[in-house]
Amino acid sequence: MKRFNALLLCMMLLFLYTPSAFAEEEVLRVYNWQDYINEGKDDDGAKIADSVMELWEKDYERRTGKKVRVQYDTFETNETMLNTLRTGKTSYDLVCPSDYIIQKMLLATKEGTDDAISVEKFDISKMENYTKYVSPYISDLFQKNDWTDYAVAYMWGTVGFLYNPETIKYEDVSTWDLFWNTDYKNRVTCKDVSRDAYVVGSLYVQREKLREANRKYENGEIKAEELQKTVNAVANDTTDKTIENVGTALSEMKKNIYGFEVDSGKTDIVSGKIDANLAWSGDAVYAMDLAEDEDDKLLAFKIPDEGSTIWFDGWVMPKGANTELAQDFVDFLCRPEIAVMNMDYIGYTSAIAGDEIFELVKENYEDEDGKYEYDLSYFFEGTLSEKHYTNGKAIIKTNALGRQLTTQYPSLDEVARCGIMEDFGDKNQAVLEMWTQVKSNNISAFSYFMMAFLALMAAAMITNKIRKKLKKRRRRR
Amino acid sequence: MRKNKIFSRKTLAVPYAVFLILFVVIPLFLIVAYAFTDENGMLTLSNFSTFFSGGHNINTLMFSIFIGMLNTAICLLLGYPAAFFLAKKGMGFGKATVLLFVMPMWINFVLRTAATRDLLFWMGISGGEHPYLATMIGMVYNYLPFVILPLYTTMTKMDISLIEASYDLGANKVQTFFKTILPMTMPGVVSASTMVFMPTMSSYVISDVMGERKISLIGNSIQLYFDQGLWHIGSLVALIMLVIIAFGSLCTDSAPEEEVRGGLW
Repeated sequence: MKRFNALLLCMMLLFLYTPSAFAEEEVLRVYNWQDYINEGKDDDGAKIADSVMELWEKDYERRTGKKVRVQYDTFETNETMLNTLRTGKTSYDLVCPSDYIIQKMLLATKEGTDDAISVEKFDISKMENYTKYVSPYISDLFQKNDWTDYAVAYMWGTVGFLYNPETIKYEDVSTWDLFWNTDYKNRVTCKDVSRDAYVVGSLYVQREKLREANRKYENGEIKAEELQKTVNAVANDTTDKTIENVGTALSEMKKNIYGFEVDSGKTDIVSGKIDANLAWSGDAVYAMDLAEDEDDKLLAFKIPDEGSTIWFDGWVMPKGANTELAQDFVDFLCRPEIAVMNMDYIGYTSAIAGDEIFELVKENYEDEDGKYEYDLSYFFEGTLSEKHYTNGKAIIKTNALGRQLTTQYPSLDEVARCGIMEDFGDKNQAVLEMWTQVKSNNISAFSYFMMAFLALMAAAMITNKIRKKLKKRRRRR
Repeated sequence: MRKNKIFSRKTLAVPYAVFLILFVVIPLFLIVAYAFTDENGMLTLSNFSTFFSGGHNINTLMFSIFIGMLNTAICLLLGYPAAFFLAKKGMGFGKATVLLFVMPMWINFVLRTAATRDLLFWMGISGGEHPYLATMIGMVYNYLPFVILPLYTTMTKMDISLIEASYDLGANKVQTFFKTILPMTMPGVVSASTMVFMPTMSSYVISDVMGERKISLIGNSIQLYFDQGLWHIGSLVALIMLVIIAFGSLCTDSAPEEEVRGGLW
């Protein structure tokens, strides 16, 4: 017994002493999406280079002489991330939620309603790289929405159709009708995410309104801003009537599509199970690369003409974060050479512009004999050195419209007809109820039958039991 | 004897008791507590009304029970003869054959389901076109081993002389099966059913992968609610499942072995 006690004591001492070994170095706790940063691994997961976190640790020590360590955790959905913050078991210095969650967190911060998901302010003036290299398009977007002080953009993209041009006509994929188009029955998949599906439904239900706005925009009757406002209003329309209409439309859609998916869509389209799926631009680029490498197959991406949504993920600092360290890390990520590393690794489009990024895009996609002069000035303006401008424009020559280049960097026209998903607020539950209704099977006659059957079974069982008991009692007598 | 107090029955049970309390009893109470409270921690029955007011939730529940029963029935129909022939001595089936039947259980469940999906697509029964059929095939494939194993075990223990006696007393094959063999294997049937019915109802991976997410079982509803951070209503659905399972196991418990053997019909 004594020996056992001694062992216990030893173990306790061991536990007591371990943390002190790290006491002198500071820790930055980062909570990010899975596979959303350069971790320095090759395709098989073997480590071949320093991860971005390690590079920052070294860089920070060189600049300040202080030791720092990144504790890096990942999540799979925005909601998981929020739940983790809410339980408050682990606190983080830096998290990377999507647009609508950032909006939700900012609202909680400004109104002081929910401390667990409130955030700290960034001191942008201290973030040299961010102010210097962030794309003017992104910083405008942030300014318009009043996010600048609280969030720093990381990656962004659009939502559209990834499709096989050999089997699906361009006109058909240019509209959200594709989901309801019986010519492609069981050939298309949709995302199994209530918000994305809802927006698609809303854009489809109000397509006439959107087409009208687009016509006016093309005729020069309205400006890009007004078009964007219309799309935004439609995408985020959560009036009871729209929710009902979207529910009906999505139930119809469910009968026509191959299925819903979260992650399998990009491989299914490469293997030919399906011909089109609703895709985030980053996933689309990944699938195009994969199809080209493995099957010599050319896939394409199209944002439907009615309009779509732009999404972005950004860094925010939860209440109580070590803002100094967090800001330093985020600013490190905004260095173009680091942004290039991340972009190359994960395939999504960085919110950072600058020479290095432009050179990467050129190296990957420029075709010297390209017929089209693809103009990306809106994104790169003001961040490039003189030599990269042709007649004052940031131009990339290409023959391949609809492929990786235009997927990663949509044209100004496409951007104009993209809204931004907002938090549904009080209507969240109503949308979710609508979604469960769409996902479940509404066969109510069958349901009644089943209930009757179960009741009968239960009744039979109970009478049987009573009968047996009575029998026993009789026997005993 | 005093020396061995550390290894007495009582003390040896302590680790498991601690485990049980930490990971079973407390979470159970948490589920109940969450099911009857709202976001502000107030007692409420609003979760109930939310759940039952949407007709689709009841539909999903009924549909899950139906799928569970159907799967149990198909698995028993397929597994019973298979187990019977495996257990029959002199048929040339060794232990190796039994292993062959049970082997699918050893392969990672998610991997197995994904492979079944591809196989069915290749056969022309894709989940996109036939979500119900594909889901049922996936369910049966996954749960068949769970039926064969308990049936096999009870059948190997079966007393063959009783079957011979049945023939001697003039029963034909059908009568022998229903009056002798089936009652003797009833314990196996009961345990096989419980091993299939409950997991089928609550599973969501198979219906997601095989049915291309077009089919929703009660497990999917729970997952959806928890994913969205709606813990209270999610807990309520979990509680409803729990009640159903408890009811199910009460029913199977009420059939002790001897009684079953004596007078099933």
